[in-house]
Amino acid sequence: MQTLESFRQTLLSLDTPRLHLLAASGAVLAVGGLAACYRATQRKAKTVPMGDGWWGVGPKPVSEDKSIYPFLVKMSEGDIQDLHRRIDQTRFTEPLEDARFHYGFNTTYLKKVVSYWRNEFDWKKQVDILNKYPHFKTEIEGLDVHFIRVRSPSLPEGCRVRALMMVHGWPGSFFEFYKILPLLTEQEDGLAFEVICPSIPGYGFSEAPNRQGFNSLDAARIFLKLMERLGFTEFYLQGGDWGSLITSGMAQMKPECVRGLHLNFVTVRSKGLGMMLSLIIGPYLPFLVGLTQEDVKRLFPFMEKSVYESLKETGYLHIQATKPDTVGCGVNDSPVGLASYILEKFSTWTDRNNRDLEDGGLERQFTLDDLLTNVMIYWTTGTIVTSMRFYKENLKNNIENRLDYKIDVHVPTGIAAFPHELRHYPRAWARQRYRNIHSYTYMPRGGHFAAFEQPELLAGDIRMFVKKVEKL
Amino acid sequence: MIVEVLVALVLGVVVYALLPRTKKEVLQTEDGWWGAGDPPETAEDDAIRPFRVETSDEELEDLRRRIDQTRSFSSLEDSQFNYGFNSHCLQKVVSYWRNEFDWKKQVEKLNKYPHFKTKIEGIDVHFLHVRPRDLPEGTAVVPLLMVHGWPGSFYEFYGMLPLLTEPANPGDIVFEVVCPSLPGYGYSEAPHKKGFDSVCAARVFHKLMKRLGFSQFYAHGGDWGWLVTTNMAQLEPNTIKALHLNMAPPSKPNLPVVLSVMLGRWFPWLFGFTEHDVKRIFPYMKKVFGESLRESGYMHIQATKPDTAGRGLNDSPVGLAAYILEKFSTWTDPEFKNLEDGGLERKFSLEDLLTNVMIYWTTGSIISSMRFYKENLGNGLNKPHSKIPVCVPTALASFPNELLHTPKLWVKQKYHNLCSFTPMARGGHFAAMEEPEMMAADLRKFIMQLERGPK
Repeated sequence: MQTLESFRQTLLSLDTPRLHLLAASGAVLAVGGLAACYRATQRKAKTVPMGDGWWGVGPKPVSEDKSIYPFLVKMSEGDIQDLHRRIDQTRFTEPLEDARFHYGFNTTYLKKVVSYWRNEFDWKKQVDILNKYPHFKTEIEGLDVHFIRVRSPSLPEGCRVRALMMVHGWPGSFFEFYKILPLLTEQEDGLAFEVICPSIPGYGFSEAPNRQGFNSLDAARIFLKLMERLGFTEFYLQGGDWGSLITSGMAQMKPECVRGLHLNFVTVRSKGLGMMLSLIIGPYLPFLVGLTQEDVKRLFPFMEKSVYESLKETGYLHIQATKPDTVGCGVNDSPVGLASYILEKFSTWTDRNNRDLEDGGLERQFTLDDLLTNVMIYWTTGTIVTSMRFYKENLKNNIENRLDYKIDVHVPTGIAAFPHELRHYPRAWARQRYRNIHSYTYMPRGGHFAAFEQPELLAGDIRMFVKKVEKL
Repeated sequence: MIVEVLVALVLGVVVYALLPRTKKEVLQTEDGWWGAGDPPETAEDDAIRPFRVETSDEELEDLRRRIDQTRSFSSLEDSQFNYGFNSHCLQKVVSYWRNEFDWKKQVEKLNKYPHFKTKIEGIDVHFLHVRPRDLPEGTAVVPLLMVHGWPGSFYEFYGMLPLLTEPANPGDIVFEVVCPSLPGYGYSEAPHKKGFDSVCAARVFHKLMKRLGFSQFYAHGGDWGWLVTTNMAQLEPNTIKALHLNMAPPSKPNLPVVLSVMLGRWFPWLFGFTEHDVKRIFPYMKKVFGESLRESGYMHIQATKPDTAGRGLNDSPVGLAAYILEKFSTWTDPEFKNLEDGGLERKFSLEDLLTNVMIYWTTGSIISSMRFYKENLGNGLNKPHSKIPVCVPTALASFPNELLHTPKLWVKQKYHNLCSFTPMARGGHFAAMEEPEMMAADLRKFIMQLERGPK
C-alpha cells in the first residue's frame, strides 16, 4: 500500500511532458505485450497439415496394399565380382604434397581403405550382421518403404516398453543405429524400447520416388502412416541430420501421437532479432542473451566457426541441392568414388580437425567394416543419386519460408548437443522453434554421426529424456 | 565559421580530384617450383620438345568396357535438365560415344597443328604453336596467346585457328598463335604442390612466351583464361600489347557498381545500360543472385573438396561426360535447362563435345583441373590481383548468354583502358567454340585497329 502511495505521489509530481512520455511508453509496451501474447497463442494453435501424396509409377489405384512383408538383405557373388573388378580398374590421382584432408579425401589413405575393401572386407559376413534384426517392407503412397523393427524377446514382466522411431540422414542409413539398438532394446531401470528404423524413400532399401517434389514433410507423413500401420498410437521419435527435420515434421503433423522428440541435430530459422542480438552481445555478456559459457566456447568466434566453416563444408550441399543427377552419375559407377565421397563426411563431420590428419582420423572412431557396410548399402542399391535429390527437393525453394519452419514444435523435446556437430545451436536459439524443451545436454564428446560414434552417450541421453517425460 | 568549412571542403575535393588515385600498380609475384620433391641443383632443362597426341587400342578397349558397365538411372518425370544431365539424353550421347565416335580420327585432327612440351618451374607445359605458312610478301604476322578455361581445353580454339592463321583477304593481319594447356589440364603436367593459382599460371605463360622468343604479344581468354591473361597484363603490362576477352566479371562491387544495381532498373541511361543489360540484370535477386546460386554448386564443391568431387569422374567416363557436358548445355543458354535434350546439339557437334571430354578422360586430369578452383577461390576473393586495375588496351566481346553478364560500366571499373566493347548477336560461355567466326572477326578488328591506328 505504501509503495502504491509513493508511486502515486511520484506520478503526480511529474510535469506534463514527462507524464505524456510515460503514458506513451506504457501504451507502446502494452500494445507490444498484447501483440506478443497474441502471436504466441496463434503459434501454439497451429499444426502442419498432413495432406497426402502418391509417388508410384502411373495413377494412384483405388485401394492400397497395406501388407507388411518380411525382407532379407541378400548378397550375390556377381555383385562382389563386379565390385572387385571396378575397384581393380580404379584410376587414382596423386595427391598434392602435404594436402592431408584439406582438398577432400586424401589419395594415399584412400588406397589403404580400398585395399582393405578389396582384399579383407567380407560383405557376406556384414550382410549376416545386417540380417540379425528383422527387416520388413510395406507399400505406402506407392513406394516400398523399408524398415527394421527391433524388440527384445526376453524382457522381464512389468517392464515398460515404449515405441521409438529413429530416422537416419545423409550419407548415413538405418545401419548407423546398429550399435545403439542393444542399448535401447534391453531393459534398464524398468524401461525398454521397441525400435523402428525406416530408410528414407530413395535411400538404401526404400524405393525412390518417381516424381519431383518429395521432401521431408512427405517423408514425415509416410513415416506417420507406417507407425499407424504397425499399430502404434503413441511413440517417441529420435533423429539427426535429415532425420531431425523429418521427425520434427512428424511432431508438427500429429503432436497427439508423439510422446517425445529427441534430436541430436537442430534446425531453426536463422533470422530474427534475437539471434542477431545473441551474436553481437553473446561473446561479452552471454547470460544477458541466454547463452552459457559452453555456448560461447562452441559458437565464437562466430565468423570462423559458423560462417567460414559452413562455406568450407557445404559444397556438397550446394551441388546436391542444384544438380543431383550430374554429381551422382560418376559416384554411382565408381565404388572408390562413392566411398571417398561418403567417407570424407565421416571424417570431417566427426571432428573438423581431422582435416589436418593424413588419414583423416577415420579409424579413430569407426571401424572400416562399419564404414564400408554403410557405403555398400548405397552401392548395392544404387541409391546415391536418389539420396542426393532429397537435397534439391527440400532446398530448391527457400526452406525457411516453408510452413514447418514457421510453425513451432510443442511436443516434449530433448536435445543432445554434441561438441563437434556441424553447427552449434544453444538452447536459447532452439527454444525459438522447440517450445517445450525438457532436456538440453552438452555432450562431452562426439560429432555429427552421434548414434554411430557415441552410442552409449546418446542412448544414455535418450533414456534420461524419456524418463523425464514419463514422470509427468 | 561556415565559410571556412565550405572553403576547406571545396579545397579538399579539388585536391582529391587532382591526386592520381589509382597508382599504376604492377602485380608482384615470386618464382615457384611445382615438380615433385625438391627442386634440383642443376638448371632447368628448357628444351622445347615436339609432342604428338597418341592413342592405343588398349585405351579404347578400356573406355568401351567402362561405358558398357555403366550403372545408369532414370531422371525424374518431366525434369528435363533441371536436376542436372537428363538420363535419356545421356543414353543417346553415350550410345553415340560407344558406337560411332572415332577417337583415332579425332586424334589425327588434334595433331593437325604442331604440339610441343617444355618444362617450366618443374612441370611440363603443353602448347600448340601455329605459325602461318605460305604467306604473301609483306603480310604482318602478329603473335597471339589464347588461354582456355574449365571444363574446356585448347581444343575449343580449333574452329578459330584457321580463321586467325590463314589470311582470307590480302592485307589482313595474320596471327601466330600459341595455345597452352593450363597446368593440371589435358596434356600439361599437374603441379605437385599446393598453391598453384592463376597468378602462377600467368607467370608460367610469360616464361613460355619468352622462351618462344616473344617480347610482346596479344592475349585472348575466356573463363579461367580471362583471369590468367588478366593477371599476365597485371604482371607485365609492357609485354601484353592488348587483351581480348569474352568474360570480365568485376572483382569488387565498388560504388558505381552498387549504385547501378540499386538504381539501374529505373535509370538505365544514368549508367549506360542497354535494353539487353537491363533484361539480363534485373530483377537482380532473381536474375543475378538466384541464377548464380543455382549454377555455382560445382564451383563451391570444387573450391573446397576437389579431390572428392573428381574422384568418381576419373573412373566413370559416363559420369565425366555428364559432369562436363551439363555445362556445355546450361552455359550456352540458360533456357536449355528446360529441354529434354539440353539443347546440346543445337550449337555443338557430339564429335567436338566428346573430343573435349576425351582430353580430360585420356589424361585423367579432372581432379587436377578442379584443384585450380580451390587454389584461386579457396581462401576467399581478396587476392592482391583483385585490387589492381588493368591498364593495357582491352576489348570485351560481350556474348548475350555469357554466365555473368557485365555491362560496360562494370567492366570499366577494373579495365581502365577499355577500347572496345562489342555486344555480340548470339552466343554463350563457350563462345570460341560456339561462334568462332564472330569471335575471330571481333578479335581481328580490335587488333587491326591497334596495329594500324583508327581509320
